[in-house]
Amino acid sequence: MRPILLQGHERSLTQIKFNKEGDLLFSCSKDHVINVWYSHNGERLGTYDGNNGTVWTVDVDTESRFMVSGAADNTLRLWAVATGKCLYTWEFPTAVKRVAFSADDKQIVCITEQRMGYQCAIRVFNINREGDGTDQSEEPAFMFNPIGSKVTVCAFTLTPNVIVTGHESGKVALFNLKSGEEILNNERAHMDVVTDLQLSADRTYFITSSKDKTARIHDIQTLMVIKTFTTETPLNSAAIAPGKPYILLGGGQDAMNVTTTSLRQGKFETRFWHKVLEEEVGRVKGHFGPINTIAVHPGGTCYASGGEDGFVRVHHFDDSYFRAKPYGDLEIED
Amino acid sequence: EDAAEESNVSAELIALRKRLVDEWNAWRARSKKEQLEEKGQTVERHTSEEKEEIE
Repeated sequence: MRPILLQGHERSLTQIKFNKEGDLLFSCSKDHVINVWYSHNGERLGTYDGNNGTVWTVDVDTESRFMVSGAADNTLRLWAVATGKCLYTWEFPTAVKRVAFSADDKQIVCITEQRMGYQCAIRVFNINREGDGTDQSEEPAFMFNPIGSKVTVCAFTLTPNVIVTGHESGKVALFNLKSGEEILNNERAHMDVVTDLQLSADRTYFITSSKDKTARIHDIQTLMVIKTFTTETPLNSAAIAPGKPYILLGGGQDAMNVTTTSLRQGKFETRFWHKVLEEEVGRVKGHFGPINTIAVHPGGTCYASGGEDGFVRVHHFDDSYFRAKPYGDLEIED
Repeated sequence: EDAAEESNVSAELIALRKRLVDEWNAWRARSKKEQLEEKGQTVERHTSEEKEEIE
């Protein structure tokens, strides 16, 4: 696998995301900047400037027309992907920690942090896709404060007005957006903070990663744990590889706990696990600090990892990856 | 090399892997079917809601 090093961020990466075609990779960082790159050669296509704080989260619609970001400057921003123009800014009392588009691009969900007397809130905005995108409504279509442990990650399910959430306590839950009610939960999905949640291509299942050193695949209807992947390091991100029976995990001890001796240099690894057999199949090292975020190309041809070290590494899979059948000729459904 | 390694894997392990894959495939088939049914219902629900509005 030939890695491409994307150098353009000055501080640690917080989230990376491919567009639907996989030709573009969006990255956001503590350096206040969002970048977009060509995934095939790592060339930087552009930068989205304007945030005044860590950009925590980013998502892009299926047409690669609008991009949405959430930041520590308490703003949620809608951007024109092609021009880099900020089309609309929503402001809240606290930081925006996670954003996501719905499958039909018509809605965005955002999580704001619990802080300074403000509760953790989930808001959903209807996105007006007519015109140039600057005419958005200031008021959310839905807003509620989820009861119990605060929300860290979320995504739209395929059921209208239902989102799936991961929580600080390790809980995963389904929420009805209209009523704000918790429809279903699994309190003990994880034993510590849920750090990432990524959906399968068909949105019928999802993977979560946690500081409890495990990643888990859950059924999105029942929230039942289908698979568990137990590692020896706190995990920051988990992704599903389309077309192959693998999941990718990234993490590492927090930067403050890492002794920066030469022995540790470049030793932070993306771990590949067989998603059905729950066995580790390989590791790719390279980062100089914990891996904060991983994304796989929707076509399954490459993956990218973003690190605490400020680098994004794009790895294009070579022929041996596609040929390899480490456990024989078992046919596995995606 | 892989083939040689494979032959060393015990029959029990092969059977376990086969069972895990079969269970996974059965679950995938079930949830894909449920998803299709749900989609069908949603479409029906939407069309009936629209009808009510027209009436």
